[in-house]
This record gives sequence, C-alpha cells and structure tokens, in this order.
Amino acid sequence: MRFQPIDQFAKNLPPATRASVYQSTKTTHEKRTKLLFDQFAEPDRLREIAGEIKQHAIENLDTYLPQVEAKLKANGAHVHWASTAESACATVLQIMRARGATKMVKAKTMVSEEIELAHYLEKHGMEALETDLGEFIIQIDHDHPSHIVRPIIHKNRREIAQSFEREGLGSYNDDPATITQRARHFLRHKYLAADVGLTGANFVSAESGRIVLVTNEGNSRFCLAATKCHIALIGIEKIVPRDRDLALLLNLLGRSGTAQDLTVYTEFIGGPKLPAQPDGPEEMHVIFVDNGRTEVLASDCREILRCIRCGACLNVCPVYRQASGHAYRSVYPGPVGAVLSPLLAGEKFPQLADLPKASSLCGACHEVCPVNIPIPDLLLRLRARAKDENVPSPGTPPMGAWALLASQPTAWRAALAGGKLIDYLPTKLIPVPALQAWAAKRELPAWRGGEFRKWLKNRPR
Amino acid sequence: MNDDREAILSRVRGALAPLRERAALPTYDSEVAVMRGLIAGRDLVELFCERARRVGAVALSDPAALVARLRAESRFRGYCDPVLWPRLAPYFAGGDFQVEVTFDRTRVDDYGFGITRAAAAIAESGTIVLNDTTTSTRLAALAPWVHVAVVARDAIFSDISQAVAALGHDRNVVWCTGPSKTADVEGILIEGVHGPGTQIALVVDWESSGL
Amino acid sequence: MLNSERKPITGKRVQLMATCLCDAFYDDVAAATVEVLEHLGVEVVFPEGQTCCGQPAFNGGDWAASRKVVRHTVRTFAGEEPVVVPSGSCAAMMFHGAVLEFEKERDVSDVEALGRRTWELADFIVNGLGVKTWSGRYDATVAFHRSCHSRGTQSGEAALTLLAAIAGVKVVEFGEGEQCCGFGGTFSVSFPGISTAMGALKLDHVRAARPDVFVSGDMSCMMHMGGLAAKEGKPIKTLHLAQVLRDALKSKAAP
Repeated sequence: MRFQPIDQFAKNLPPATRASVYQSTKTTHEKRTKLLFDQFAEPDRLREIAGEIKQHAIENLDTYLPQVEAKLKANGAHVHWASTAESACATVLQIMRARGATKMVKAKTMVSEEIELAHYLEKHGMEALETDLGEFIIQIDHDHPSHIVRPIIHKNRREIAQSFEREGLGSYNDDPATITQRARHFLRHKYLAADVGLTGANFVSAESGRIVLVTNEGNSRFCLAATKCHIALIGIEKIVPRDRDLALLLNLLGRSGTAQDLTVYTEFIGGPKLPAQPDGPEEMHVIFVDNGRTEVLASDCREILRCIRCGACLNVCPVYRQASGHAYRSVYPGPVGAVLSPLLAGEKFPQLADLPKASSLCGACHEVCPVNIPIPDLLLRLRARAKDENVPSPGTPPMGAWALLASQPTAWRAALAGGKLIDYLPTKLIPVPALQAWAAKRELPAWRGGEFRKWLKNRPR
Repeated sequence: MNDDREAILSRVRGALAPLRERAALPTYDSEVAVMRGLIAGRDLVELFCERARRVGAVALSDPAALVARLRAESRFRGYCDPVLWPRLAPYFAGGDFQVEVTFDRTRVDDYGFGITRAAAAIAESGTIVLNDTTTSTRLAALAPWVHVAVVARDAIFSDISQAVAALGHDRNVVWCTGPSKTADVEGILIEGVHGPGTQIALVVDWESSGL
Repeated sequence: MLNSERKPITGKRVQLMATCLCDAFYDDVAAATVEVLEHLGVEVVFPEGQTCCGQPAFNGGDWAASRKVVRHTVRTFAGEEPVVVPSGSCAAMMFHGAVLEFEKERDVSDVEALGRRTWELADFIVNGLGVKTWSGRYDATVAFHRSCHSRGTQSGEAALTLLAAIAGVKVVEFGEGEQCCGFGGTFSVSFPGISTAMGALKLDHVRAARPDVFVSGDMSCMMHMGGLAAKEGKPIKTLHLAQVLRDALKSKAAP
C-alpha cells in the first residue's frame, strides 16, 4: 500500500544521517529550553509578546510598508519592490549591471533560496558565491539546504572533505577546523574581489528603517566590509514596528535558533555610508519581495508570516527528526515549512499538500515558537483546504462512512457489538488498509465494544 | 519596479481589508527581556568581562597584558586605529611589533591583529559595540585572526534593551558577541570562520570621549 | 489550547463523555472514571447517544464530516452540567478543535458553549473540584506520559498532583518526556514508519526508567505504546490515570 511521501522518504534515509539529525536537533532544543527557563522568569510570556508584536506588524503592513520605504529612502537607500521571484531576480541583475558588477558575495538568506537567485545570476553570467560555510558547501555540491539554520545538518565531515578535495580546496582532510580554515582562506579573497554584497534581513524597523542582520560566522559583515554596494533582499513580512521591539526579538532569536544568548554578529544597518563615516558600502538597495506572501496574508494562515526563521520548530519536531529536511521538498522544511511551503506554492499547492499531514499534531512546535505561531492549527486548516480541493491523500482513511456512523447512535451501538468480529479474523485478511498499517507494527487491543455500557446498566447500585 | 510596488501594496490592502479588527501593538516593559538576577548590584565592568569570557571572548584591562598576549601568540604584525595608536604605541615599543595605522586591503592576510575603537559594550551579553563613525576600517575589525576592541569603562550598557534604546543616530552599528563561529560541520563548534578567531575587549579607563 | 473561559463548577452532577476508544476497547477505563467520580460524591450521567468527539475527521481535514459528528455530540450533551472526559485529546477537541472548525459556522456558539463545559478528568478533579489528596494506597513505580493534547492545559500538572498524593506511588521521570508517542490518530496509519519510530524512542526512554506501570490520561497514546511494545514481544503494562486512582481506593496492588 502507498503511504505518505514524507514517510517513504524517512524510510529511505540512511540511518547515520537520521542519527546525526536527531542528535543535533535534540541537543539544540534541550539547550534552548534550559537557557530560556534558567534566564527568564516567564519565557512563555516573552513568546506571547513577540507573537503579538509580529502579528500587529503583519496586520498593519499597509501602514508599515510605506513608512519603512520612506525611512529607507530618507536614509539614502534605494527601495525596490518585487512581486515575484522572477521580478526579484531581475531587479538584482539590473542593479549589478548598472554598476558594471559581475561578482557577488552572498550571505545566507532564505528569500534568495526561495527565488533561486544564485542560479539565475549564474545563468546571466554573474558570479554569485555563497559565503555561509554551510551554504558554500551546499553550493559546491549542487545540493539543497535541509535545515533553516543548519543547512548541512544532513552531511557528515567525510562527505564535506571529499567535496573540498574535488573542488581543489586542499587534499582530503575531514577535521572540521581544517575544513573551516580552508573555507576562510578561500572565501576572504572572494569577498575582496567582489563588487556587491547581498544579504537578507532578520528584521526591519519601521520606526527607523534599520535593517537587522545576524550571523555567527561574520560572513554578512565581511560582505559589507569588502564591497561598496549592499543589496538586501527582504520578505515584506520582516517588518517590526519599533526599534525597542528588536531587543526582545533578538533575545529570543539567538536562544531559540542556536541556544545562544545572542548571535555573534548583530548588524544594525541604517543606510549607506555617510560622508563622516570612514567605511561601509556607498550604495544600498533594499528589495521588498512578495513572492506569494500577500496571498498568505489574505489566507486564514497569516500567522505563519510572524516566523523569524529560527528553526526551533524543526529542532523539536519528532517528524523532522526522523525525516530530515529534504523530505519536505521545498526551501522551508519542518513544521514551519509544512505550513509555509504549500502556501507559497500558489497554484502548485496540491504538489505540497501532503506536508501539513506530516505531523502527529503534537504541538511541540507551537510550544517552542518564539513568536508563538499556532502551527498545529495552521496545519489543520491546510489539511481542510487540501480536502476541499480534493487533493488525494495516500494512507488517509476516508471519513464519510465513519461520520455517518458516528452521528447515528443506533448504528453506532450496533457497530460496537459487531466489531467483535475483528478478534476472530487475522488482521491481514481485513481489507481495511488503515487497520493493516496499524497491525503490521502494533497489536490491536481486544475488542470490548459495548462492554462499558453493559457494565453501567447492570452494575449493582 | 514601480508596477510591483503598487501591485504589492494593493494586494496587502486587499488582504487586510476583510479583517474586522487588527491586532494591537502590545505594551510591555523592556525589562521583561532582561535576564533575571544577573545585573542588579553588579559592577558593569566586572560583569561585562565575565560575560565576554562566557561567549569565548578575552577581556583585558591593561594594554601591557594585551601586548603580552599578542606576543605569546606570535602575532607581531597588525593594524591599529590611528586615533588609538598614540596611547597604545608606548606599550608596543621596543619589541618586534610592526603596527600599521592604515589598513591595506590588498594584504589582508598580513595582519595578525587589528585594533579598533568600540563605541560601547553590553554587560549582559558580553558584547562589544562597534559603530561606523568610530570604526576606522571595517575590515581591520574582521579580517585579522585577532580583533582588539578598545572599550571605555564608562561606555558599558547593562543590557541588550538598553543598548538598543541607545542606538540613537548611529546609523550603522555592529555588535560582536565573542569570536566568529560555526557549528555547521556535524555541530562541532569551530571559532574563526570569516571573522576573528580571537576577540579581545580591552577595557580602559580613558574617558570615552577621549578614545 | 487553553480552556480558560470555562464555566466554574456548580452542583455535583456531570455528564460523562466516555470516548469512542473506551466504548470500543477500554471499558475498564470508563468504569474506573465512573467509580472515581462517584467516590468524590459526583453523580455521573451517561448520555446514551454519544459516539465520538469528531476528532478523526477533523485531523484528517474532512471538516464537513467532523462537524456532522460534533453537531451530534453537541445535541447529545445538551444541558448545563460539566462534561467530563477521561482523555486530554477529546477534551481539547471539544474546547479547541471543534471551535476551530466551526469558526465560520452559524452554530459556533453552541460548540463554544460545550467547550466551556468540557473538562479532562484530572483537570476536573484537581482544578474543578479542588481535590488534591487521594485516599487508599497503590504500591508502584509509575512513569507518567503527558499526552500532547494536554500541552498548554492544566491537565498534566493535575495528573501529577494526584499521582503524588497516592500513598505508595513513586513517579519516575524519563528522557525526552515532552516528546510525542507517535500516535497522532490517522498519522499512525498514514505515516506508519515515522509513527512507530517515534513510539520506539518513547518506549526506550520509558523502559530505561524501569516503571511498574506506564500511565497516561489518554488511552490513544497508551494503545499505541502498549500495542507497539506487545508487537516487539516486550509488553509493557499501560494504565489510565483513572484506573490507578480507582485501584488505589481499593488499595489494590499494582499488577
């Protein structure tokens, strides 16, 4: 019988990969929880406030987007808008061409993954080099990230050492420190030779137009220290109302994502270099990207736009831990991806409509989310949407007959009595796939249909 | 892409129009995001040094100790912000040090250390705060293996919320909390990815204005 | 999944929602629930027309089918009395899930009203009735599984309060206690590989703590855990909290 694609994928995942994904997500999750509960009296209250801030921001984007645009312009940045992936890519290309630029260094940005910017630029004769260590390895391997924060969580050091050897970055050596040093030396000369630096944004303050960027490696800072032109690719949902909200969100982001009090490099970028400033990019472009976000905003799943891409929901998710990120067949894996990816897929929703099914609805994702997104509710809404759109769902038993039975008490009681039959039949013979799938791995308890009702009637009072 | 601007904004307005009410901006005290029981009653310099060490940074308060550290690591060639150099030069005198006051980006690998001014520091997180009006060159604070940020004792914020509140009109600011690091390869922590492998805060009692 | 706006308890009469699992498989859990409530001086009414809370179709995305069942449930549990259910999952369906799928329906207020009256058993005993002590004795080392659908509710704490109050009970912690057992309703049959892998991990952790019994407030989780352990040929004794409470009253030894 056919099961769900993610279950199939998990089945085929090499056990060593599963073990390493499991171990590192578990470790990060446990450290995250310890930090938050040791350090704050009411960590859940922080998550609630952060959720309210972000919900307010997305529900007032009609006010905040023009406001932030005006601030950015006043700060000296160029502001662009891109409805689609194609338009976002074309805008970047146009900016590069206008400067006669051919080489870009890129910091990690999920939006650029979404719009497949690096491929696009390469196709148009530009060099676009990933500088985050994990993303760099993904790029040289022509692979895809499998985790929002830890792109190569699915790879081991031996595979990476082989890739480095293949790419001429030194003879085989799988010591992580050596791998890192080699990337350091290779990439720093690339930064210095590049014409533009591209980053995403973790937050944009509507109050000041400040863009906030966090990295641990310092690669985004290097992009902006070595090049004279900064392009920031920003999803329209990244806006926060005020600067003061940044403190709360930064406190939550580092702890939730990587179990750090604060990420190593936190950049606040208020615009291109001023004359009085000795250093910094002279030109700054901000591209606000929609690429399906306004459709999400119009849907009953708009809460997902609060997401700050910390990856905590991936780390705690028992399904992600078993299946790893590629199972989700999209840029955003894990619980957040199971909501966001089908939504951003637009007309291709049916192709990803199985993702929201990949959850026992255990709610652990909601419990750790730094912006308190009720992910299980959104998964459920998307399941209902898939059903409404008649998307087939392998392995899911049909519910019509059950609903009929469960709304007719007499029939229900008869079924309780009749169910006794299953005790006398080998389950393999019962032509109910769901029952077979259950019985392949688990014993069914003995049928006791109607026994409680009998007891209740007949007991001595 | 002006057409895109109008299209996006109109879709945003369209998406929000059916909402009967919009989520309110919550009111909250910035204190909620401050770590409990950490700061009260503490000397901020001492706390900053303690927290900086916790994130893998080195905190020193004596330029002589800095020079000794650089010597011990055999980092004799480096860069120093010209504003700082007159005060630090005496400590480097009479040794094998070669210190430049202009940073030549064509020779990034020649610099074993870079000394720049920090605008401030944050005690709660052990963070140094660099801003672009006082950072002589961004690369010098990033490319050499050792970065030394000179912080004035009186420029230490107690917590992150305070530091955010003080962003003020410094338009380009970077916070550095420990050395550059990654755990991308099998979750193993490695320091010194693109930025410094050794991040040193030199806390001095010079007045911040004199830095 | 907070049931924060629920009606305070007045009177000592409740309607029992026995759950379809107890109706079909776990009659002793439903019986124990009745005995425990009656021990507390509560009169238990069992509406005969009850079937299921509607959750299977709700989780499966067939909200039209689910609403049909929920409407039946709303009619069946008419009245003002609290509805007590020995399952955190079915309780959450009544005060959270059903409300979600009725958001755009005209009769949403009827569903909300039932939700406000619905209590998970341990929550009802401890927070509804204010009972925090337990008489009798039960000599056993207990591993307690906080079922996922009681996240964000007071049920888990309430159950632990009651277990701690029973003389002879020793509650042991086990690894990754916050993780799901892998049941998840239809998830267990449409994702059999991941579901059983999750279950196996849970069993490993529980076995490492060497409890005499594995207890939960939800028989769905226990059906999965017990079924998996039995299939592995290493059965594990599973019980519902109500059974432990009842057996303690009778000072019955642990099995």
